[in-house]
Amino acid sequence: MGIPTTYNTEQELVLALKRRDNQAFGALYDNYAGALYSIIKQIITDNPELASDVLQEVFINIYRKIDTYDQTKGRLFTWMLNIARNASIDTLRSKSYQNSQKNQELPDNVYKGTANQSIQLNVDNIGLKKVLEKLRPEHRVLVELAYFKGFTHEEIAEMMSIPLGTVKTRIRNALLQLREYLQ
Amino acid sequence: MNIKEYIESGIIEAYVLGLASESEKAEFEQLCTQYPELVAARKDFEEGLEKHASEQATQPPVGVKVKVLEAIADTTTKGVEPVSINPPKIVTMPQEKRGSSGLLRFIAAASVVLLIFLTFFAYKSYKQNQDLESSNAALKEKLNSTQKTLDAIVDETNVVKNPNATVVNMVGTKVAPKSSANVYWDSTNNNVFLVVKNMPQLPSDKQYQLWALIDGKPTDLGVFDSKSDKVILKMKDTRKAQAFAITIEKQGGSPSPTLDSMQSLGKTLQSQ
Repeated sequence: MGIPTTYNTEQELVLALKRRDNQAFGALYDNYAGALYSIIKQIITDNPELASDVLQEVFINIYRKIDTYDQTKGRLFTWMLNIARNASIDTLRSKSYQNSQKNQELPDNVYKGTANQSIQLNVDNIGLKKVLEKLRPEHRVLVELAYFKGFTHEEIAEMMSIPLGTVKTRIRNALLQLREYLQ
Repeated sequence: MNIKEYIESGIIEAYVLGLASESEKAEFEQLCTQYPELVAARKDFEEGLEKHASEQATQPPVGVKVKVLEAIADTTTKGVEPVSINPPKIVTMPQEKRGSSGLLRFIAAASVVLLIFLTFFAYKSYKQNQDLESSNAALKEKLNSTQKTLDAIVDETNVVKNPNATVVNMVGTKVAPKSSANVYWDSTNNNVFLVVKNMPQLPSDKQYQLWALIDGKPTDLGVFDSKSDKVILKMKDTRKAQAFAITIEKQGGSPSPTLDSMQSLGKTLQSQ
């Protein structure tokens, strides 16, 4: 997949988007909506309708913010992926979502405990989470919390009762393993 | 700095996935401008990530694309600059709600302006009404006094025009040759009116007195001053009179005339 077929390079597509070319935007949607929707659904796991609302919001934001995209800092997909991840985590943390989740288990109860128990995290076997499956459990939990739940390293250290330095090292190691799986 | 070690530290993955801290990000971006191999490694990971994500793509619901394109068309036609707005609100609010809240805000603002105008106009018209009322009262008063004056004039004119009235032209005597006055005597209702033409000014303790001579006997018909704001003076009634006479008497009149001071005399038809 990658770059829409009608645009020879990513740069061409970006220039068309910055011109507010609606056709280019339609092509962008066709090419990337599925990948972004997959990521959103890996973060908002229990509400497909909400996930599609977030997808809609993400594409509107891509359109609005395209001028802030800087090609020297990364690929267009990386930029869009981060918008999708941030929007999903924001939704996950929003008051209305939290209220709808009131009767569910508290995160503390979910993530504390032994490595074996943490295997039962609500990891769907899709997308990046599928890759996470291949990681060592103690690494996987940290990536899961950091990437899919949006917790900071400090929050994870406190939540898991492990030193901040360990959290950072383990996440770095997990990410390096991830790179290997992605190659 | 050993760039190879840096590349292998996991910073690339943390940066691309949005897990790097602000200081780590700043450092990474700075180093990217210096080390092309760092940029190449970043691109490698990004492409792997994109490829993987594309392979794992999930078909989104059909309606989403339409909604997105509609929202964008809306933005384009309205010419709104792309600014970062709190995104959840943009998406979850239905279009009608946004419109109606704008309309409500407009109506609220318009109501305040309208209220101010209405208050101003209410005050203005109240004030105007008060002014009109007072000027109306003044006009009414003026009209009344004018009507009174007019009535008096009409009355006087009626006396002069009255076909039943006998006009007695009184001429001056030897004592006062220039004195002259007319008596209008209506024999049907016995009314007597006096029109002073020329009577000399009197001292303040004196007044003129009109007499009717009935069978040789003088009868008092009332007193008057030489100067009066009325053209025609209403005197006492008399049924009969052969002549009318005017004398100078003390203030308020006398029971019988002082004949040697008689100023003017006029005979009626009854005297012939």
